[in-house]
Amino acid sequence: MTEADSATWRVPPRWVLLVAVLSIVAAEVGGGSMARFKVELTRWARDGMLARPSVHGLVGVRDVDERILDEALVKFDAGLRLFHMHAEGMGLVIIATSMVAATVIPNAAARRTIIALLTAGGAGYPVGYLVWSALIPSHGLERSKTIAEWLVWVPFGTATIVALWCLAGFVAWAMISRRRA
Amino acid sequence: MSRPVRRPPLGVVLVALVMLALGETAGAAMSRLKPEIQRYAAGRVATNAGAHGFSGSAEYDDEVRDRAIFTAEAGLSFFHLHGEGVGLVLFFASALVAAIVPGRRARVVLYLLLTLGGLFPLGYLVYGAAVLEMGRDAGIELAERWILTPLGVAAIAGLVGLWLAMARRRA
Repeated sequence: MTEADSATWRVPPRWVLLVAVLSIVAAEVGGGSMARFKVELTRWARDGMLARPSVHGLVGVRDVDERILDEALVKFDAGLRLFHMHAEGMGLVIIATSMVAATVIPNAAARRTIIALLTAGGAGYPVGYLVWSALIPSHGLERSKTIAEWLVWVPFGTATIVALWCLAGFVAWAMISRRRA
Repeated sequence: MSRPVRRPPLGVVLVALVMLALGETAGAAMSRLKPEIQRYAAGRVATNAGAHGFSGSAEYDDEVRDRAIFTAEAGLSFFHLHGEGVGLVLFFASALVAAIVPGRRARVVLYLLLTLGGLFPLGYLVYGAAVLEMGRDAGIELAERWILTPLGVAAIAGLVGLWLAMARRRA
């Protein structure tokens, strides 16, 4: 019986668990900060937008500008909330999936690659929401989203999706091999 | 010294992983393919105009179409959210079953219930598709009655069973 056939769990490397727990801690701190510093964060974002009227299409007419500012502040807040939610969830996804990879994938190189992709993708992806929020005041809604998308969401999200489907393939393969044996 | 912890069957792990992977992929699709999804949804609503109760009045029909597209998108969004969440619930709950529940038969029943519950997010895919094909109310009714409710009940029964098994073991 090989290690992959064993009916017990194998623990993933410690650095993986540290990254996962750090992601969950960051999410908790983010959630707490959002509640505790809501006014300060909103003021910071609003001041940043007022300092760059052309970026946000502000025209100097209060009725028009307030609507634009409100929409941007809703997105700013949504980015922080999505970071909180995704970092908590992805921390757990890293723990669960890396444990499966450590247990099921017999080839060391493949196991290391999948675990690295799951960990980097899972921990990096939520940071994109922080980047998005942080860039809204200085770069505007669309440009900040594009930057976060290509800098963080696409590479890290792709890493997670590819690694998850590969891992599902490894598990299916392990099931087939066990049936044949 | 800690002893090795038993894991659930690979079939259960596979369902949890596939749910997570589908949830992730749906999230990416929602973000990258939003216009295409909306176009497809509008096309399906137009094809099934009768099911949506189009009246021929442009204003009314536009409102019905927008509401159906919004509901279909909500279905995809719920699928993303629940795929991630329920995938994790299935994974960790079945890991607890494997580690803690003593009887083999009890474990098999709990795995079965939890795995059925793990398929719950698929109900939201059906929800989104059925709304486009059958109209908003009929589509929601179909998904809720025939998929979401039975699979949700299975998940709850599995979790309650796990709780009872843990409480009994402790007593």
